[in-house]
Amino acid sequence: MEILRVEDLKKTYGDGDAKVEALRGVNISVEKGEFVAIVGTSGSGKSTLLHMVGGLDRPTSGKVFIDGKEIFELKDEELTIFRRRKIGFVFQAFNLVPVLSVYENIVLPVELDGNEPDSEFVDSIIETLGLSEKRNAYPNQLSGGQQQRVAIARALVATPQVILADEPTGNLDSKTSQDVLGLLKVVGERYGQTIVMITHNEELAQAADRIIRIEDGLVVAKGVQR
Amino acid sequence: MDKIFLGLGVIAILSATAVVIYDRLKVKEILNNIEKMLAMTMKDGITAEHFDEGRLSKLESELGDFISRSAISAQNVKDERDKIKSLISDISHQTKTPIANLILYSELLEGMEISEDAEVNVKAIHSQAEKLRFLIDSLVKLSRLENGILELTPVNTKIGPLIANVCKQLREKAEKKEIDLKYEDTLSEAVIDEKWTSEALVNIIDNAIKYTYEGSVTVRASEYEMFTRIDVTDTGIGIPEEEHTEVFKRFYRGKAVKNEEGVGIGLHLAREIVSGEGGYIKLCSEMGKGTTFSVFLPRN
Repeated sequence: MEILRVEDLKKTYGDGDAKVEALRGVNISVEKGEFVAIVGTSGSGKSTLLHMVGGLDRPTSGKVFIDGKEIFELKDEELTIFRRRKIGFVFQAFNLVPVLSVYENIVLPVELDGNEPDSEFVDSIIETLGLSEKRNAYPNQLSGGQQQRVAIARALVATPQVILADEPTGNLDSKTSQDVLGLLKVVGERYGQTIVMITHNEELAQAADRIIRIEDGLVVAKGVQR
Repeated sequence: MDKIFLGLGVIAILSATAVVIYDRLKVKEILNNIEKMLAMTMKDGITAEHFDEGRLSKLESELGDFISRSAISAQNVKDERDKIKSLISDISHQTKTPIANLILYSELLEGMEISEDAEVNVKAIHSQAEKLRFLIDSLVKLSRLENGILELTPVNTKIGPLIANVCKQLREKAEKKEIDLKYEDTLSEAVIDEKWTSEALVNIIDNAIKYTYEGSVTVRASEYEMFTRIDVTDTGIGIPEEEHTEVFKRFYRGKAVKNEEGVGIGLHLAREIVSGEGGYIKLCSEMGKGTTFSVFLPRN
């Protein structure tokens, strides 16, 4: 089942001499449960693409469908709510709330949406991510890898349609990166979660089910779908 | 007179406010009830709690009907799948003895005095029968694994002896092809099912030997915070990037290696085993230079 579709997406910044075509007509399709890596050098347009897919910015033209819904038809306010319910983000900076414990950080998005967190589900995620002993610790007591694991747990708990990871291991050393990425892959499989990750790191991208390559605002290789 | 009007006005305003507040509360209560119903539904199906003439009660029982209908169709799908699985399992089991006999009789024939032509044919029968046996064996394992008949029981295991043991099994095969099969000893541990992980490793290393025509196959372990990694590095022909996902699919055979013996199930089985244990496999490859399969096994 297709969960994400990008149709002829274009984004241009500035005009005249300062005109930059960041995306020049990108088409992508992602199946439910897939772990896709989008690989490109800096300036290739991969970050712009992820921002559009996550509804963080509007394109110049083109469409993005998530779970069958064309997201740029939504008004800004609707888009914010849609994003909160349907899309999980994992950023390079872990963005944890320093005054909340690991557990409180993880359930925050669920509580923000006015729901009771399902404690069994939360516990199983905490366990899978190897955070059981750290559940009452505060972010500043954790290593970088552990902090990013908390961020992954937080994204998973809200059971979004798709998790978007923007250079999730950009702040970590290469060994920890491999570790965190492996967990992302394992939890993705265990909970049937669709994950789209952007990275410039070839080695890390190899863990994905499929690699999409982007250069100069265009997709140059799509990989084979599972 | 004025006072009476004033009084009436105040009463009117108060009662209007009361009605609005009452209405708000009522709406809130209804929404709360619906949320509760949904939460219950998601957890373990719905059982109607209230029976009255209200719309909410009607909604509740309609939702209940809908849920039980979808539960039935989900059950049907599951039943169908179980039937197919047990069929596969039956086929695999019933073919085991005849194949064993085929191999036995072809071996007997090979030991007899027969013409040269006949010998070639007997050899062909023998090798095809072996291939069939491997295929059926793998299918039995796979169907057992997928059926949950054989469950993985991961316990803390030392990786060093496991690698040594697997390499011992494959030494002869490597020597026949004059490929150097090396491994580095390690003190690393992982939480795995030893028997099944051996199976997975055998398949990966066997594969590496098969597609390496000269050079070596090296097995090396390293430790991460969450995973223990086992790298199987060969100096073989390499796997093109567009086949990196494909090679793990059941019955997939690489385009460049169609002539090589094989059924395309070893890597699939390996991946099923490793992900069943909470790990994963990835591969890096350079055409003509070699391939590294990295198996990540959970540590705790």
